[in-house]
Amino acid sequence: MYIIVVGGGRLGYYLLKALLNEGHEVLVLEKDVRVCKTITDELGSVCFRGDGCEASTLAEVGTGRADMLVAVTGDDEDNLVACQVAKHKHNVPRTIARLRNPQNAALFKKLGVDVTISTTDIIIETIEREVPTHPLTQLMSLDEKGLVIVDVKISTESTTVGKMVKELSLPKESKLALIIPHEGSTHVPAANTVLRAGDQIIAVTSPETKEALRAALRGI
Amino acid sequence: MEFKKVLVPVVGSEADGEAMKLACRLAKKDKGKVWAVSVVAIKRVLPLDAEIDSEIRSAEDVLDSVESVAEEEDYEVETDVLQAREVGPAIVDEAVERGVDIILMGITYKRRFGQFNLGNVVPYVLKNSPCPVILYQQ
Repeated sequence: MYIIVVGGGRLGYYLLKALLNEGHEVLVLEKDVRVCKTITDELGSVCFRGDGCEASTLAEVGTGRADMLVAVTGDDEDNLVACQVAKHKHNVPRTIARLRNPQNAALFKKLGVDVTISTTDIIIETIEREVPTHPLTQLMSLDEKGLVIVDVKISTESTTVGKMVKELSLPKESKLALIIPHEGSTHVPAANTVLRAGDQIIAVTSPETKEALRAALRGI
Repeated sequence: MEFKKVLVPVVGSEADGEAMKLACRLAKKDKGKVWAVSVVAIKRVLPLDAEIDSEIRSAEDVLDSVESVAEEEDYEVETDVLQAREVGPAIVDEAVERGVDIILMGITYKRRFGQFNLGNVVPYVLKNSPCPVILYQQ
């Protein structure tokens, strides 16, 4: 796979190393001549000095045949422009942008960036996962489908304990995929499956109905 | 110093023939092996394994001509066309891979902005070569 990384900072550098180790053809675009030289000296001809926001630079490095462009500069604006030029001018199938400001995520999506990665959101998701009392954890975001996979924990305080799945008023967009009980084996929930305290429910829902699903499953 | 393995990068300049002659003479003493390589630089718009017939043909022509120089010296050489993004790193990689004792490059006198200029490839090879380098200036 040919992957272009825009930005040769720390993130770009380690990303480059990891992707090279996986056997991909990777090229970093970096404006700073010193950074470019450091990368070239260490890793060979895998750094191109130029502005990843410029269409001519992207054309020169063969963006037209790239399978993916990942923009990881420190500027959201630069990342957006690089992804947009790659997507709309060179038809790159997949573009990924790093976000400093998580509020830009919606705008980036609207403007055609396939995937946005916000450090803030990643830390929040990790906190949710690591704090055992947190009732709902987002496990994965399926951006293209507008869905998320979540994990809801049923506690002893949940008013839904002892109720069957068919008795719950789940949001329309939500589907229960799996129940991981406190004890015993995992099973796919059916209409007459009874919820028990300690159950972990893996569900697919839309981002907008996440909270409604949590309320329906926990009842509190 | 032994010259068991000699690498001669060629580019089609007038100095190539003389460099090859010198390589053959040096290697002859130690019954060494001589490799002549021509590097085809592939632009990033194309995949590295793209076959650019015209470029490959001209690289082969250059290698044929140095091979005939070696024949005149009554010495057998191996030739190879390499494809790479950049010429300098390709030569250094080849030297490392083959474990050569010396790289022998022929260069011509070039001026840039009115001053003698070695270009990009020679300084890169001089800086990064794993073995001694001899430059033969025509």
